[in-house]
Amino acid sequence: MSRHPAPDELLLDYAAGALPEGPALAVSLHVALDPAARATVDRLNAVGGALIDREPEVAFDDGSLENVLARLDQVAVEPRREAPRPRPGFEWAPAPLLPYLKPGMDWRRILGKFDEIRLDVAGAFHRVSLLRLEPGRGLPEHKHTGYEYTVCLQGGYTDNTGSYNVGDFAVGPGSERHEPIADAGEPCIALIVVEDPIVLTGPWGRWLNPLVKRGLI
Amino acid sequence: MLSADEAADLIEAIATRQDRAAFASLFRHFAPRIKAFIMRSGADAEAAQEVAQEALIMVWRKAASFDRTRASASTWLYTIARNKRIDLLRRSGRPAIETEDWLTVFAPEDEDADKSVLAGQTYTRVKELLGGLSADQLVVIQKAFFEDKTHTVIADELKLPLGTVKSRIRLALARLRDALEKDES
Repeated sequence: MSRHPAPDELLLDYAAGALPEGPALAVSLHVALDPAARATVDRLNAVGGALIDREPEVAFDDGSLENVLARLDQVAVEPRREAPRPRPGFEWAPAPLLPYLKPGMDWRRILGKFDEIRLDVAGAFHRVSLLRLEPGRGLPEHKHTGYEYTVCLQGGYTDNTGSYNVGDFAVGPGSERHEPIADAGEPCIALIVVEDPIVLTGPWGRWLNPLVKRGLI
Repeated sequence: MLSADEAADLIEAIATRQDRAAFASLFRHFAPRIKAFIMRSGADAEAAQEVAQEALIMVWRKAASFDRTRASASTWLYTIARNKRIDLLRRSGRPAIETEDWLTVFAPEDEDADKSVLAGQTYTRVKELLGGLSADQLVVIQKAFFEDKTHTVIADELKLPLGTVKSRIRLALARLRDALEKDES
């Protein structure tokens, strides 16, 4: 069990299929890495199954089964798939992330400080990214205007709310300033989902905010 | 009524021998129930029927990935129907990422748990335990599943403070967790 689990109410939103794609991706990676979260989501999915079983039958178009059976002629029963494997250099990536890592995507250096891969995710999110920080390096001090979801995928980082390791989850309105710094050891890799543009708060960062808002940084 | 074991047998019959009669039995049982479930989130009968049909076709395609030691048939069907609902009702124009494949197929097994017994037991107990939740707790859980709403939206609708909704969800889950863990030990 991780020291920073996702809150139960977020796991419920995830299991109920109510989360937009960005936060759903963040929760799926946490669930992939944390057996306790997985057990909770398994139970919640069982709640979903039980609710379907308790449903009374409603009228169902009689021709529907015939139509569907006719369509099955064109639909193969697929063989059980092998677990997907990450490509070289991405061994840290949990399985639910792999469909998002398109061929050719690679790290890009930002502000000379950290590396980023932006992911293509539906919905009005400011940013859904993988970030990579060398040990001892930090993100520029910033605060958030919306919610931010973070899942640590490799190494660890520390900010004023605590230390986060692989599988740990952080979510918050994050109106407080924070300045995450990568721990010693391997480079820290994390997925972050940011609803609204962040606001840089450091002495130099403030000058960059117009670029951040336009999505250039 | 179809028991959990019978439903699992039918899915395995599709996987091993493309058994169309088994598919028809699953369809007759689950398609109307999935349709009713989807209609609760405000979908019209036609859209809900489409979700149910597409979900059952997915059951045919993915039958070989079903593993009864990991999830009951109803739980597996729920995850498929949920993702179809996301695909079709939101019309996002892109397929939902099939996280349920990962959870029920690829997730590493917990070494100390005898999953073959647990998956079925968990499901049966969850079914019983749902009836044991308080009305307050049940309403937030049902709104999440039936109406496809996040806890923030639910708080808004029930005109309750967000903290109250969060604590009801936590209490409901704690009750499920406690009861299940007692069974498992």
